[in-house]
Amino acid sequence: MKWLWMCAVVWLMPASALAQEAQATPPSRLWIVAGVASGTLRGHCQDCAQDFPFRHGPAILGNAGYRVSPRMDVGADVFWMQWHNESGHIRATAIDAVAQFRPWGSKGFFVKGGAGMAFVRNWVQTIGPHPDDSKALAVVFGGGWEFNTKSRLGLQLFAMQHVGALGDLQTTSGPVADVTGNFWSLGAAIVIR
Amino acid sequence: MKRQDRTRFSAILLITGALLGGAGPVTAQEPAPPAPDPQGPPPKAESRDARRPCDGCPARRVGWSFLQTTGINVVYELGNLARGQVTAHISPKSWWANMQQGMVWDLDDFTVNQIGHPYQGSNYFDSGRANGLNFYESAALTAFGSSTWEFFGETNHASLNDFINTTLGGITLGEMLHRTAWLIRNTQATGKRRLWSEIGATAVDPITGLNRFTSGDASRVTDKPPEFVPSSLGAVASAGVLWRGSQSSAFNAAGDPFLEVDAYYGDTNTGRSRTPYDAFWMRMRFGGGSSFSEARVRGRLYGQPIAHGLQFSVIQTYNYQNNDAYSTGSQAIDAALGTTRPLSSRTNFWILGWGGLTVLGAVDSLPLGVTEKPEEKEPSAGQGVSEGPRFYDYGPGSDFGALARLARDGRDVALFFYVGRQIYSLDGVRANHFLQHTRVDLLFPLRGRFGVGTSAEYFHRRSYYQDAARTTQTFHYPQLRAYLTWRHQ
Repeated sequence: MKWLWMCAVVWLMPASALAQEAQATPPSRLWIVAGVASGTLRGHCQDCAQDFPFRHGPAILGNAGYRVSPRMDVGADVFWMQWHNESGHIRATAIDAVAQFRPWGSKGFFVKGGAGMAFVRNWVQTIGPHPDDSKALAVVFGGGWEFNTKSRLGLQLFAMQHVGALGDLQTTSGPVADVTGNFWSLGAAIVIR
Repeated sequence: MKRQDRTRFSAILLITGALLGGAGPVTAQEPAPPAPDPQGPPPKAESRDARRPCDGCPARRVGWSFLQTTGINVVYELGNLARGQVTAHISPKSWWANMQQGMVWDLDDFTVNQIGHPYQGSNYFDSGRANGLNFYESAALTAFGSSTWEFFGETNHASLNDFINTTLGGITLGEMLHRTAWLIRNTQATGKRRLWSEIGATAVDPITGLNRFTSGDASRVTDKPPEFVPSSLGAVASAGVLWRGSQSSAFNAAGDPFLEVDAYYGDTNTGRSRTPYDAFWMRMRFGGGSSFSEARVRGRLYGQPIAHGLQFSVIQTYNYQNNDAYSTGSQAIDAALGTTRPLSSRTNFWILGWGGLTVLGAVDSLPLGVTEKPEEKEPSAGQGVSEGPRFYDYGPGSDFGALARLARDGRDVALFFYVGRQIYSLDGVRANHFLQHTRVDLLFPLRGRFGVGTSAEYFHRRSYYQDAARTTQTFHYPQLRAYLTWRHQ
């Protein structure tokens, strides 16, 4: 539960503390986000009867792009997550084209969505010494709160869901059909504008 | 699922909800609005006008647009409940189950997924436009409406294909319908004429219409927002008979009647553009083998003239086609390069080529060995629950095409159209589908707005199955049409 407390503390941290660090400089057109998250992944297939487990691990999230307007940013989203145990590991990277929208310019609430491609190494029950790599159609959506939106340096807390649709997964024991994976992440990131 | 995993997953979801829903600490730190200065200038007579970029523009109400989007979901949900759909019996338990499950592919009917969901998405989009949000802001609102519907609007698990179709299709159809409604609306008129123009526009874009009636904008005399006045406008309606061929190229003696409408909003061929959909092309066809056989929308997102008279554009497309060779629907983003060349003082030649990515495409397919789609059985799990099997595939892909047009005195006399589309199936029968459509039109003016035309088309489909034998299947057929045209410009 330690990470939970940390999230709560960060969330409750006064925005004014950050505002003191970075003076209100006119933001540039650049939009960069780099952060870490606590992630949960779950893979499943359409016709599988079994109940697949949720797996937890660290994740990294990054955005780079362009500020279209004071409320809208567009760019690329990179999400990376890894989970491992003694028998092997699952690694997923999603690269998406995303748009982030802050409905209220004066407030930090934002929603984000996009689509792209995911690259997945290993999956649910197929973890073993011979990794299987797959490409997938990816979508991402989520939201969060950004502190200090008016200056060049800010902080955001986010909750995102990345989805990867693999189609068939080739494994050593044969193909598994209609495999989809969901990745939930909750984290914090630095925002540079 | 292990108890520890459940607890941890629950904690993540709870914190997510708190993060998205709770902004208390930060909001509390927002500076309070300054008290009115008694020495300062008097406040504006109509504070509402400060939220309007122009007199005829809707007032900007961001919070209201989010509420309306949620309200649209409630209306659809109640509609499903009234129809007796099992999937409408939502509860916090079903919401929790959907969030835990994550996204899956659904097994719904082709028309529901490719037309129904984009239309529902257009309602979300237009709730943004009706409340003064710009195109991109409304696009984000569409994603919000779509995702909340998927997780909370039905007991079905959230569907990946619905999320994409509702969002991207909703943006395309939403902006097209919103702009079309502004063409119908006569904001300078009063009395019955005004009322009917507002009712007509409401039929096309119900959400904007309802907002205008409730806010009183439907009776205010103003100029139209300049954003919704196109640089040019044209439409061609064609009605006639269509003869479909078969795999052996033999034509059916009996033709099918059809009605096709092409609308040209703005000039997609020229100019620097940063306003999405300031120019778009739309085609709809009814009849000709099925009640609704074609819908295409191509909206310009970006336009830039480049060297040597070439025009570069980025285009968002919505595509739906239902014919004997294939049924397909897709959402794509294309980059296009075109040029217009005068051949004489009265004759122009325009050519356009494009290529792009299909974010998600659907195409009908049957498993190998099955030659005919079986009759659908009554669902045993209850009304509204799709149990499959589903006879179409989903996947991303690519598309490319070309369009050439010869015009004399501003009227089209010859058209050539080609589009190729590749869909890589991720869900459904494992295959790579390659669809092609070629069409040549010849048009002759008669008198005034009327003319006659004839078209020759060729549909071709090849599916590369990913079975052990690497089976390929090909289907093709020609089609001829003769029709009367009516042109508005």
